[in-house]
Amino acid sequence: MKIRKEEMKVSIMALAIRCALLATTTLPFGAYAIADDSTDELTKPSNTVNFGALYADQSSARFGQYNGLNSQGAYGLGGFDIRGGNGYDQNSGSGLRWKLGGSNLGTTSRELDGSASDQGKWKINLGYDELQHNITNSYQTPLQGNPGDNNFTLPSNFGSINTASPNGGTRSLTPTQSSDFQGVNESVNRKTGSFSTTYTFNPQFSAQIDYKHLDQSGAKLIGTGSQGGIGLIGGSTGKAEGNMIILNPTSYQTDNVNAALNWKGDKGHLTGGYYGSIFHDDYNSLSWQSPMASGASKCIGVNCYSNNTMSTAPSNSLHQANLTGGYNFGYDTKIAGGFSYGYNQQNSSFAPTLIPQASVSGGAYNMMAANGLSTSSLNGVVETKHGDIKLTNQSIKDLTLTAGYKINERDNNTDSNTYKYYNIAQTPGSASYYTGINTPYSNRKMQYEATAAYRITNAQNVNFGYEHESIKRWCNGVVGGAQCVSSPASNEDKMNLAYRLKALDNVNFNAGYTYANRRADNDPSFLANAGNYASTTAVSSSALNAGNYLGYIAYPYANRNQNIGKAGVNWQVTQKLDVGANGRYTYDTYDAKLGVQNGQAAGVNVDTTYNYAENSNVSAYWNWQNGQRNLRNGASNNGASQIVAPTSIWTNRLNDNSNTLGIMTRRGGLFNGKLDLIGDLSYSLNTTSYSTQVPYATCGTSTTLTCGALSPIKNEMWSLKLTSNYQLYKNGKLSLTYMYQKLNSNDYYYNGQQTGYTPSALMPTNLQMQNYAINVIGLTYNHSF
Amino acid sequence: MNTLIKIIMLCGLLVGSAYAENTTTTTAKSPAQALDRDSVCTTCHDENEAKPILSIYQTAHGNKADSRTPSCQSCHGQSEKHLSSKSSAPDVIFGAKTTGAFSPNQAKEQNTACLSCHEKDPTRTHWQGGAHQAADLACTSCHVVHNAHDKVREKITQKDVCFTCHKDQKNQANKFSHHPIPEGKIACSDCHNPHGSAGPKLLVKSTVTETCYTCHAEKRGPLLWEHQPVTEDCTNCHTPHGSNVTPLLKSRPPFLCDECHDGPHASKSPVAENAAGTQGGYTGANPSSSYTGRACMNCHSMVHGSNDPAGALLQR
Repeated sequence: MKIRKEEMKVSIMALAIRCALLATTTLPFGAYAIADDSTDELTKPSNTVNFGALYADQSSARFGQYNGLNSQGAYGLGGFDIRGGNGYDQNSGSGLRWKLGGSNLGTTSRELDGSASDQGKWKINLGYDELQHNITNSYQTPLQGNPGDNNFTLPSNFGSINTASPNGGTRSLTPTQSSDFQGVNESVNRKTGSFSTTYTFNPQFSAQIDYKHLDQSGAKLIGTGSQGGIGLIGGSTGKAEGNMIILNPTSYQTDNVNAALNWKGDKGHLTGGYYGSIFHDDYNSLSWQSPMASGASKCIGVNCYSNNTMSTAPSNSLHQANLTGGYNFGYDTKIAGGFSYGYNQQNSSFAPTLIPQASVSGGAYNMMAANGLSTSSLNGVVETKHGDIKLTNQSIKDLTLTAGYKINERDNNTDSNTYKYYNIAQTPGSASYYTGINTPYSNRKMQYEATAAYRITNAQNVNFGYEHESIKRWCNGVVGGAQCVSSPASNEDKMNLAYRLKALDNVNFNAGYTYANRRADNDPSFLANAGNYASTTAVSSSALNAGNYLGYIAYPYANRNQNIGKAGVNWQVTQKLDVGANGRYTYDTYDAKLGVQNGQAAGVNVDTTYNYAENSNVSAYWNWQNGQRNLRNGASNNGASQIVAPTSIWTNRLNDNSNTLGIMTRRGGLFNGKLDLIGDLSYSLNTTSYSTQVPYATCGTSTTLTCGALSPIKNEMWSLKLTSNYQLYKNGKLSLTYMYQKLNSNDYYYNGQQTGYTPSALMPTNLQMQNYAINVIGLTYNHSF
Repeated sequence: MNTLIKIIMLCGLLVGSAYAENTTTTTAKSPAQALDRDSVCTTCHDENEAKPILSIYQTAHGNKADSRTPSCQSCHGQSEKHLSSKSSAPDVIFGAKTTGAFSPNQAKEQNTACLSCHEKDPTRTHWQGGAHQAADLACTSCHVVHNAHDKVREKITQKDVCFTCHKDQKNQANKFSHHPIPEGKIACSDCHNPHGSAGPKLLVKSTVTETCYTCHAEKRGPLLWEHQPVTEDCTNCHTPHGSNVTPLLKSRPPFLCDECHDGPHASKSPVAENAAGTQGGYTGANPSSSYTGRACMNCHSMVHGSNDPAGALLQR
């Protein structure tokens, strides 16, 4: 086992941060006279610089997922918040103020920002933000290449793996193959730079520009299936659908720009703007080698593997023009709305289809059949249109009426073409191939809504709302007669009623109910394109009803009734004690013979806070949430009709349960007001379980296990955080923090990833459950001036 | 397209110029005059107040060089009765609950004071009739105007304010798979506009997908082989505030996939304990790669769509 070590690099950004931190700790101390007047203390900004260190006693990617504390050891802490400018001197006549800030400077979650403004005239903001998303540190692979690369190769001594039964395939790796596995940390790094400026020309006109550059690096794991039918040197054939979980690079840059011109008048306002989003991926493909063969092979060496390629996220752009505004017809009547038009384009070159390959046939193999590739890039174009308008009227005392209309359209004008390709189960170059026709999806959603809010008394409000939503779906210019969608339209009506009552001066009660009814058009004779249009040219059982059994409807496109109820009460028992409780319940039913039948969601919150002294309080909370989904599917049909026999129905229930308990306390004013203590203890238990029933078959055979309850996905978390802040002197404060966090995770997901226990054509990753129990202690000095 | 944009901009400017002459011209005040006006109140409400009244001068509401900056009475009303008798309440008292001698005004009355300046702002265009307005929230339910640091306007602390009411989301945000909201790296307002929006759930953009693409632009495409529900709504499969199933999934494959597919390939097969493989008690020849680990996504990994000419089955 080898552990890949990353080279320590000192980036320009890291140097800049260190310089900034140094500057903040040296420059400002003498720059400001410490305010000794109590009025000045309130009216002049208080600047702070903090620095210190903390220590984590364990390494855990999960614990350090977003906080940067993923490795055992010591970390430097640093932060600052410095504000200044003559604008804080009310007699100066200047509105100029500036601010510099930084936080988490010693970790990979560091942030820096700065701003300057002459209030009412102009403002400039600059920002920099880093985030390392640590996903796992237990991934192992025999593939060679670094996270962020797009080409992964096998070591020459790895050799072929015969996946044909009864050889065991990847379940029976040789000692040499096992020794080739190496550990690689899976993480994604995000660095964001931002700039924004606002300029006010006069009280009526202002302009603003926001720019944000997002840079992502690293990789995320992705499943892959290998191309079958490759005649490998050594006499075997490349295994179709041999699975390797590999590192998909996230070498992305995204530039977002928002520019707007604002006008404000006496009665109205209007903003015209441009939004641009340019996404760039350094790669258009990801390549890897698979050692899996569907038969015996004596081949050892670099020429024994099948080469594979898949696409990555293509670079794309969006340019959008926006117009929003509002107008007051009088004190009581207002209109507001907006319109936008967007042009989204994607024309990145396709991933290569001619794959270099050492094989018995000698050269590269083509994933496309002869004349199967009509274009080298998509020339994809989507036009997005949005419009909304809302009229509000309050001319009748205590009654607020609104009426609104919204439309959102995704009009996909991408060319539809025919692509003749070899499915991964087919043999490249053979006479048998798939004919794919791309169906660019378009949809339009329109919503009409009306609401009435009536104040019955000063203590009672009632709101009523009605909304109608209609959705249309279509495809533009699909070639060859391929069909687009099984559900071309749906309509939904929604009504809701909400009531609020201030029962007493200190008791607030609210309740609400919503009913929604969705009616979806569904075409059971819809023929799925499903990757091979050739098989749908004649009505065939494998394509009918989108390839599903008759009576099956995908849940987003099924008729649905929805009932939602919620209620809550908040009681301010005394000026020191608050108690609150609220709950909600949702029940959905779907009108489908097969598919999701119903779902429900419930939640309860109870919390209380007791402020027993100035700066001292204790609060406790409990949150419970539960979600269920019941599915009814067919296991086999009665032949070409696709009708499922009643005896072939199986069901599945998802039960998602969550409990969280917590208590927080703060005790201030100890030791003559010098010491504050803060404690935060929480416990959460989240479980997700699946139960499957197969009434048509005997349940319990261990060789199938297609029924029964799957071991729940369980995540149990204990968290304790204790903080003490001690005021050393007027401007100096010492903070001592202790944190203990423990995760007990149990997830069947990892079983099939372990060497010896995988499917025979799935390369083990040896990913481990991310349990941890970590102690962190930190000491920080905070100086204010 | 360029012509359309020009027409829109021209219309905007015409409408703007049509009403520009009707706009109120703010009377310029000197900072000294502004402070003098405040002294009506700050003579009594000084640095000795339990609440840090005077720290408003550290905020934008206290920058007197800006002629738009309000006085105390701009927001709290002239409060003549209060000026003559301390036992009478000021005209407008802000807050969500009683903390002092007087009860706060109705939310609508409080908000009228704030909206008199802040309504004509593109981010508040949809306040009227929006979810928070309809719920009778006052601006001060979330904002603390007098404090130097308004928690809801600072990225690291904003969630604490939102979670005061949105407790389900607080719980979800701490689940095993979550956006870095608890860690303060994403603020609620990165996705939601609490002041109202034209999108669902007060999203900053008009649709769910458009909102998600602001950060996840790699999913935007358009792609050669699209997955229909992906083009319509990310929440068909994902639950954005947090999940027990990585990555932010409503359910796990193959069960998630079974909610839309029953027939093709292995989607018709019932799956139970066999998904847990050999260690889960399965004694067959070897576990199925259609159920184990990533299940369907062991092969059909391009669920957000594929740009590979040979990827119609979302495998590459």
